[in-house]
Amino acid sequence: MTIASSTELICFLLLGVGVVLGSIGVVLLENIVYSAFLLGGVFLSVAGLYLLLNASFVAAAQVLVYVGAVNVLILFAIMLVNKKEDLKVIKSLRLRRILSGGVCFGLLFLLVRVVITTNWSLPGPVAIGEAATERIGEHLFTDYLLPFELASVLLLMAMIGAIVLARKDVVYLESTPESDLKQGLIEQAQPTLLADKPTNS
Amino acid sequence: MSFLKKVANYAQEALDAANYLTQGLAVTFDHLRRRPITVQYPYEKLIPSERYRGRIHYEFDKCIACEVCVRVCPINLPVVDWVMNKDTKKKELRNYSIDFGVCIFCGNCVEYCPTNCLSMTEEYELSTFDRHSLNYDNVALGRLPTSVTSDPSVRPLRELAYLPEGSMDPHNVDSLKPRAGKLPAEIIQGLKETDSFSEDKQELVDDSENLDTLGSD
Amino acid sequence: MSAGLDLEFSFSQVLQGLGLTPQLAHLLWLPLPMLLVLVAAVIGVLVTVWLERKISAAAQQRIGPEYAGALGILQPMADGLKLLVKEDVIPAKADGMLFTLGPVLVLVPVILSWLIVPFGQNLLISNVGVGVFLWIALSSIQPIGLLMSGYASNNKYSLLGGLRAAAQSISYEIPLALSVLAVVMMSNSLSTIDIVDQQNGAGLLSWNVWRQPVGFVIFWICVLAECERLPFDLPEAEEELVAGYQTEYAGMKFALFYLGSYINLVLSALLVSVLYLGGWGFPIPVEWMASWLGQEVDTPVIQVFTASIGISMTILKAYLLVFLAILLRWTTPRVRIDQLLDLGWKFLLPISLVNLLATAALKLVFPVAFGG
Ligand code: SF4
Ligand code: SF4
Repeated sequence: MTIASSTELICFLLLGVGVVLGSIGVVLLENIVYSAFLLGGVFLSVAGLYLLLNASFVAAAQVLVYVGAVNVLILFAIMLVNKKEDLKVIKSLRLRRILSGGVCFGLLFLLVRVVITTNWSLPGPVAIGEAATERIGEHLFTDYLLPFELASVLLLMAMIGAIVLARKDVVYLESTPESDLKQGLIEQAQPTLLADKPTNS
Repeated sequence: MSFLKKVANYAQEALDAANYLTQGLAVTFDHLRRRPITVQYPYEKLIPSERYRGRIHYEFDKCIACEVCVRVCPINLPVVDWVMNKDTKKKELRNYSIDFGVCIFCGNCVEYCPTNCLSMTEEYELSTFDRHSLNYDNVALGRLPTSVTSDPSVRPLRELAYLPEGSMDPHNVDSLKPRAGKLPAEIIQGLKETDSFSEDKQELVDDSENLDTLGSD
Repeated sequence: MSAGLDLEFSFSQVLQGLGLTPQLAHLLWLPLPMLLVLVAAVIGVLVTVWLERKISAAAQQRIGPEYAGALGILQPMADGLKLLVKEDVIPAKADGMLFTLGPVLVLVPVILSWLIVPFGQNLLISNVGVGVFLWIALSSIQPIGLLMSGYASNNKYSLLGGLRAAAQSISYEIPLALSVLAVVMMSNSLSTIDIVDQQNGAGLLSWNVWRQPVGFVIFWICVLAECERLPFDLPEAEEELVAGYQTEYAGMKFALFYLGSYINLVLSALLVSVLYLGGWGFPIPVEWMASWLGQEVDTPVIQVFTASIGISMTILKAYLLVFLAILLRWTTPRVRIDQLLDLGWKFLLPISLVNLLATAALKLVFPVAFGG
C-alpha cells in the first residue's frame, strides 16, 4: 500500500465517522443549536468525501451552498427565535420513538441491500478531475436544461413568496378599537401588496 | 421614460457618492503629510503661554487680609483666616488657602487683589491621589512654580503659534530665536514711532498700560 | 506552465540525489510550502497591523507606536506576546466548547484560502482547479464560526454582533461571487494562475481593471464588507455593540479573531491584485525586458529575477490596497445596518448582474479583448 492510498483510506474513515456520528448527533441531541452546528459539520464532512472522490468543484459547491447558505440560514432562524421554552410532554413518546426508529432502520436496511446487490463496476470510470467543472456546465446547459430552468423558476417562486411574507403588511381585519390607530399608520406607511385596502370601519 | 429618468438619477447619485468619497480620501491623504501634534508628555512638555492661568501663587507677607479675593471669586473659594489684634487694632493673618479641586482658574482673585499678592503661574500638573491634597495652604501656595524650561529631564516644546517663522517642527528649535510676529509690546512700540499715531489711540494705549491700577479702584 | 521557477522539482531532485524515493521526497516537500505560507501570512499580519497603526496615526496627526523597536516596528509582536500570556477567560454561563471552537472556525478557512494565492508562475501551494471558487466557498464557512462564538458567549451584544456578521457576509457574498464570475468568464478558468496569465499579455494595459472597472469596484466594496472593515464594521461597532462577537473573548482566543481579520484583509488585498491588477505581473512584461536585454527567459538568473520581481510585485500591489483600505477606514463613517443591506441587495447585486451580462456580451462581440 502506498503512502497516498493509505492517507486516502485514513481520510475516508475519519470523514465517514464524522458523517455518521454527526448525523446521529443532529437527530438525537436535545439542544437544537448543537444540532444545527453539527449539521454544518456533517455537510463539511460530505464535502470532504467529494474531495476524496476528486470532485473538487462539487465539494466547493457543497461547502458554499450547504454550509455557507443553508446551514447559516438555519442557524439564523434558530438564533433569531431563541426562545427558551419547555417542550410539552408528548403522549406515548416511547411508541413514537420506536416507530420512527423502525422506519429509519427499514430505510437503512433498504440502502444496505442496494449497496450489496448493486453490481459495482470497480474500478469505476476515471475521475476527470479539473475538467469536471466544464463538464458539469455543459451538462447543465444541454441534457439537463429543463430541470435546471425548472429549478430556477421554483427558486424564483420561493423568493417572491419570501418577499411577500417578509413585507408583513397582512391586514388584520378583526381589529379591536384601540388598535385602530396603529392599523391606520401601518397602512399608510406601506401600500398593501396583496389585500385590497379595507375601508376604515 | 420615467423609468429611464429614474435610472439616470440613480446613476447620477452613485457618481456623486463616488465623487464625495474621493474628496474625502483626498482630505485624509492630505492629513498624512501634516505635522504630528503629539507631545510625548512626560519627556516633552509644551511651554505654557505668557497668559497661562495655572496654579495660583500667593505671597503671605503682602496679603492684607482684605478678603477682596473671596468676594470676587465666583464661588467664594479663598479661605482667609485672620483674627483682629486688639492691641494694634489690625488684622492678623493666620492662614490662607485655596482648594484647587474647586477653583476654576478664572483669575478673578488675581485681577482684583489690591496688593498684587496673588499671581497666576504656569504650573498645571496638579494631579494627586487624594482630592483633599489639592487644598493648598499658604505654604504650598507660596512655593515657586516648576518651570518647564528649566527642568533638565524635560524637553520644552514651543506651541505652533510661538514657533519662529517658517518652522513647523517644535523639536530642535533654537530657544533664542524669536517667534513669528510681534509681541504686543513691540506692536505698541511700533505704533508710537509712526507719525500717524493719533491722540485717542495714545489714550487707549495708556489705558491698557494702566489697566491693573484701574481695576483696583 | 513552462516558464518560471519550479522549486518542488529542484527540491525533490536534491533529495533523490541523497538516495530517497520520489514519493518520500514529495512527502517531505508537502509541509514546506504550507509552513512558508503560514509564516508569510503571520508576517503579513504583523506588517499590516504596524502599517494600520502608523497610517492611522499619521491620518490623525499622531505619532503612533514609537518605542518598541525602531519606529515601533515591534509593537505588533509585543501585542501578540501580551495576548499570548493573558489569562484565557471563559465566562461562567458561556458554552465552553462552542466558545472555543468559534474562533478556530473563523481562522482556519481564512488560512486555508491562502492555498490559492499565487506569488509567481509556480509559487503557490497548489494550483487547485477550482481556484477562486474554493476561496468563495471557504469564506462562506466563516459566518458559522461567528454565529457560534456570538451564541456561545451568552451575551446579547455578542449574539447581535454574530448575527450581523453572518447577515453581512451572506449578503455580500453574492455580488462578490458575481463579479469574480465576470473575471472567470474572461479567462475561461477558475484557477488563479490562469487568471493572472490571461492579464499579463501586454503588461499594465492588459490588467483586468481596465476591462472590469465596475467589477473591480464591486469586488473591493464586497471584500471590505467581508473583512468587516470600516465603513462596514457593523458586527463590532464599538458604539453600539461593545465589540460585537468578540466582546467576551480575551487572551489567545481574541488573538485568533484579531489574526483572522487581518489575515483576511491581506488575503483579500492579494486576491484583488490577482484578479484585477495582474497578480505577480510587472507593469512591463518581464519577457519583453529579457528580450531587450538579449537574454533567454529560461536562464536561471532571469528565472530567479522573475520570481523575485513576481513576489515583490504581488506584495506591493496587495499592500497598496491595504493602504487604501486604511485610508478608507479614516474617511468613511460607518453605515447603518439597513443601509448596508440596501447597498448590498439593491445596488451591488443588480449592478454586478448587469456587469456579468455586459461581460458576456462583450466577450461574444470582441473575443480578442475579452478572452474568446
Ligand atoms: S485680595 Fe489679596 S490682599 Fe486681600 S485677602 Fe485676598 S490675597 Fe490678601
Ligand atoms: S481663580 Fe477664580 S475660582 Fe480660583 S480662587 Fe481665584 S477667583 Fe476663585
